[in-house]
Amino acid sequence: MDFVTLLPVFMFLSLAILLFSGYPVAFVLGGVGLGFGFLGMAFDVFSFIEFFNIISRIWGGVCENLILVAVPMFIFMGTMLERSGVANDLLNCLQVLLRRVPGGLALSVTIMGTIMAATTGIIGASVVMMTLLALPVMLERDYNPSLATGTIAASGTLGILIPPSIMLVIMADLLAISVGTLFLAAIIPGLLLALIYIIYLYIRTKLNPQLAPPLPDSMGPKSNAELWLMIFRSFIPPIFLIMCVLGSIFAGIATPTEAAAVGALGSIVLALFNRRLSKTVLKSVTERSALTCAMIFGIFIGATAFSYVFRSLGGDDLIHHLVDSLGLGSWGILFLMMGMCFLLGFFFDWVEITLIVLPLFAPILATLDFGTHIAPELIVPWVAVLIAVNLQTSFLTPPFGFALFYLKGVAPPSIKIQMIYKGIIPFVILQLIGLSAIISFPELVMWLPTKLLD
Amino acid sequence: MHTSYESINSGSAKILIKISAKLEKFLEFVGKIGAWLALPLIAIIIFDIISRRFFVLGSTKLQEMEWHLHAALFLLALGYAYLKNSHVRIEVIRESFGTKLKSILEILGVLIFVLPYTSLIIYFGLDFVSRSYQMNEVSAALTGLSHRWIIKSFIPLGMGFLWLSGISVLLRNIVYLISLNQKDAELEKLTKDISPELRSPAEELEIIKQAQKKEIA
Repeated sequence: MDFVTLLPVFMFLSLAILLFSGYPVAFVLGGVGLGFGFLGMAFDVFSFIEFFNIISRIWGGVCENLILVAVPMFIFMGTMLERSGVANDLLNCLQVLLRRVPGGLALSVTIMGTIMAATTGIIGASVVMMTLLALPVMLERDYNPSLATGTIAASGTLGILIPPSIMLVIMADLLAISVGTLFLAAIIPGLLLALIYIIYLYIRTKLNPQLAPPLPDSMGPKSNAELWLMIFRSFIPPIFLIMCVLGSIFAGIATPTEAAAVGALGSIVLALFNRRLSKTVLKSVTERSALTCAMIFGIFIGATAFSYVFRSLGGDDLIHHLVDSLGLGSWGILFLMMGMCFLLGFFFDWVEITLIVLPLFAPILATLDFGTHIAPELIVPWVAVLIAVNLQTSFLTPPFGFALFYLKGVAPPSIKIQMIYKGIIPFVILQLIGLSAIISFPELVMWLPTKLLD
Repeated sequence: MHTSYESINSGSAKILIKISAKLEKFLEFVGKIGAWLALPLIAIIIFDIISRRFFVLGSTKLQEMEWHLHAALFLLALGYAYLKNSHVRIEVIRESFGTKLKSILEILGVLIFVLPYTSLIIYFGLDFVSRSYQMNEVSAALTGLSHRWIIKSFIPLGMGFLWLSGISVLLRNIVYLISLNQKDAELEKLTKDISPELRSPAEELEIIKQAQKKEIA
């Protein structure tokens, strides 16, 4: 093979190396795309006018796309729920409800992570939020720091794959499957993971109560009436909101975009209801959501430029060729992809991984065949869920573990990184159990969508 | 910015940082316009749902308006997000860099990545808009919106704002290097305060933590 056929390989390597300079991913993607376009021009395999096509791709792929409108709406909803204190109130309420259960506070954090999945768009932001909300309370109650941090990291990242999740919206868009299908496909795996966390936490704290001292009985409201009021104020509304959003998508009443807007409006109403809606809050929510959107779509645009040039230089064919020459078979290819995603998850958030790597995988996915293990038309959503769970696991795995780094950053100095590692390892094992279950039993993923969408 | 630049000794540094701050102010204004579009976006989608479910009105126009607003929202915020250091970076190696090296890399990044890349998108983007304008492009749907060139022009426009934010970041980093060169501690602190990209992740998280505490209190 000569230099020109290998250009896409160099392009990918340059991207990998330059990303580690720490310059924003969005701009490195665009810059490398542009640079290799010019390099291609020097070797007569790319022409200047082809750059025009990038604009058409940006237009068609990112702007003129009604599905992606769900992304700013879900981000708005999540940010509003967090800023207006709904998340905080929910955690307080769960604590009171679970005060007599062993490890009640840890269970509350897990349940909150599951319900507040919408707030957890970006790993860094969600882990920071969960840590700030839950860690001080857990340490105050003399929880074992390893158990506390492990619970927070695992529950904070679980949200990326429990619908409504912006990661799944973007994955569905890139893989050309319906968002509703992918949401449905992710529900059982997501809840399954939450359930095994809860079982683990329950057994562990039951066996060793010192890890998680019970909360004082005197905690919370004095009378039953006050307790019910608390449940009605803090527990029911957010659950009702999430149920409305998901239910309307699954029942086919609303598109994901419409449901997301209803969720955004609902989050404003909840803030109003809690008397926390002020101009300051509204301002800070709109601004922070816009910055997150700009970040995601900045990478989207950069990745569009990069992959256009990459493809134009023959990158897709090269990958196909490479994968064919390995002679791996469908299972081999699947594990290769999963391994790649796992490694990438040490350094990158899901935004970069899905936007850069998923378009490369998409054509390969179409060639996979798992015989009777899973029907051909269901392979894509199944693999998407596998990648999602895999990425979450990767974010938690020491020593890199993207999520752990953020947790350490906002935790008090008394929390050492070794404690965090010690606390997260059981969760990584639980993740691997969950992942193997989903690989072995694709029905876990496909049962709901096939049942409901027929 | 409430920072006073009058006390800066170096004349060129003063001019550069003033330009950078002016640009930032402008881009902040633009970014916030984009940010507020989220509210009309929510309103339009809700109105669309209600009118379609209950009054059976044709809502192609509304649906097109939805992605129009979505596109305008993030394109207007792109540049502002760079000034706020909201574009995600791979910090694994960078966090061990000194501030001076970070600053040099930021300058190189603007020159090698942001400026050429945005210029190219602006160049072809303008072509894209003018084609649309000349053929008087309207929606492919019969009942859709007309004047496609308006929303299409947000692509070069948004990239133009990103270009400007690149210049603003470039200038404040040049001033930072000047301050190091002249051993001007006051100027060094001033530029570091307005340049979130020079903060370490730990400092950044500390700021988030403080903000959170203030909010709770």
